Amino acid sequence: MITEFLSYPFIQRAFLASLMVGVLCPFVGNFVVLRRMSFFSDAISHSAFAGIAVGALLGIDLSMSSLIVAMLVSLLIAFLSEKTTLSHDTVIGIAFSGAIASGMLVIGMLKGYRVDIFTYLFGDILAITSTDLLFLFIISILSVVILLFFSKPLLQITFNRDLAQVEGINVRLFEYLLFFIIAVVVTVSLKIIGIILVTSLLIVPAAAAKNLASSMKHLFSLSCVFGLVSGFIGLIASVYLNTASGPTIVLVSIGIFFLTMLNSRRTH
Amino acid sequence: MNALSVENLCVKADNRHLIENITFSVEEGRIIAIIGPNGAGKTTLIRAILGLIPYSPGSVLLFGHPMKHANSHGKVGYVPQKLEFDRTFPLTVSELLGFTVPPIYSFPFIRKKGEKKHISELLESVGVHELADRSIGSLSGGELQRAMIAKAIVNDPKILILDEPASGVDIEGQERFYDLIKRLNKEKGLTVILISHDLNVVYRFADSVLCMNRRLICTGRPAETLTDEVIKTVYGEMMGAYIHSCHEHD
Repeated sequence: MITEFLSYPFIQRAFLASLMVGVLCPFVGNFVVLRRMSFFSDAISHSAFAGIAVGALLGIDLSMSSLIVAMLVSLLIAFLSEKTTLSHDTVIGIAFSGAIASGMLVIGMLKGYRVDIFTYLFGDILAITSTDLLFLFIISILSVVILLFFSKPLLQITFNRDLAQVEGINVRLFEYLLFFIIAVVVTVSLKIIGIILVTSLLIVPAAAAKNLASSMKHLFSLSCVFGLVSGFIGLIASVYLNTASGPTIVLVSIGIFFLTMLNSRRTH
Repeated sequence: MNALSVENLCVKADNRHLIENITFSVEEGRIIAIIGPNGAGKTTLIRAILGLIPYSPGSVLLFGHPMKHANSHGKVGYVPQKLEFDRTFPLTVSELLGFTVPPIYSFPFIRKKGEKKHISELLESVGVHELADRSIGSLSGGELQRAMIAKAIVNDPKILILDEPASGVDIEGQERFYDLIKRLNKEKGLTVILISHDLNVVYRFADSVLCMNRRLICTGRPAETLTDEVIKTVYGEMMGAYIHSCHEHD
């Protein structure tokens, strides 16, 4: 049955995309969860929505326009958090509202109904093209390699900024790098999982892994396994149940999260 | 040679001086204790020395070089007052120490095998070898402080800066902690700068003391410096002469 299921090229692409996103999002999501930045990733995905609207208005590639706007907004959040006395979540809230308002304003200026925009809003894994898949593959490899190579300073900063700075780590540079990577990963995952749910795939497998992990190695491995399992089971279930893939994948990951809660090391 | 020279250091916030014109130096291999009442600016002074907060005017030299450049070579180890971190952070003591072991930029799967041995030796040297695989959030106050000392000395620093290192640790734990600091000072020739509220600790372990209350009040050997008058100036009239039960460190 699975063989028949995998014989369709669009299913093969969707399957590969779900596996890649299933590893990439939780891997990056570990930093999001450990740094308590879920709201940041939400703001980035919604700023990508503004980018998509601008891209549609200007007639440029929507993936590219969303990526550019998401990166700009992530840098703006980092800059404002550093330069103002406002708390990080207040700055993110401002950026979040600004992005949504701009996106809605620009969409209102577009003529007619734009199906491609709504693909990004809710995601459509079955509509993934070979080019999308290649792009996702390159971004996945680059992001994971960069995060692994700089894992020591990034985790040190995540643990305690002051200690990292005293040890000579350029905290600002690495935080900008992390924000930048989160922005890229969120943007490339939009077409698959959708603006509304992309944060879930970043956070839920990582949070589930945190429930069980006793070390960093354990956390990163488990989160990727949970992401892969969610992607695999979610995609198959969505085909058989004729449900939307993105929400099904997310619901599977939430199911895994609740299962890990039963055996959480830190449940009191 | 002076391990640390601080000159005319001022830190302001909202146009108010948090510390003003602090000048002192620490000779290499010595232990200096910084004392003062709550709000005297002790932690601010340490944070300014470490470059964690800006200061103006003033200068901080580490072995004659500006702190910013000197510290990039890992010459300073630091143990903060209250280590703020998420207790649910799934991080083992070994992993925490590993963040500081060079090479800092490398892939986890090709990190040198020597790293594990180095970490094991460090934990052994501070007497907590058994904590290597324990989660950092599960450690007691005393265990955490020892683990943090191990982390602070990973790169064989020349100066160890400790901000109320034994606060929240029981008396026995404090005793063992300061014995460890003294041993590291002797064995490795470490210069130690520590903030302490415990004058007994100052008498027993410090070569010199720096009293401050936003400004520098006095510096010198503990027995000569910590007179009744100085203690009253630093801590207020309610404090009398401190009768310590132990001999001054020699």
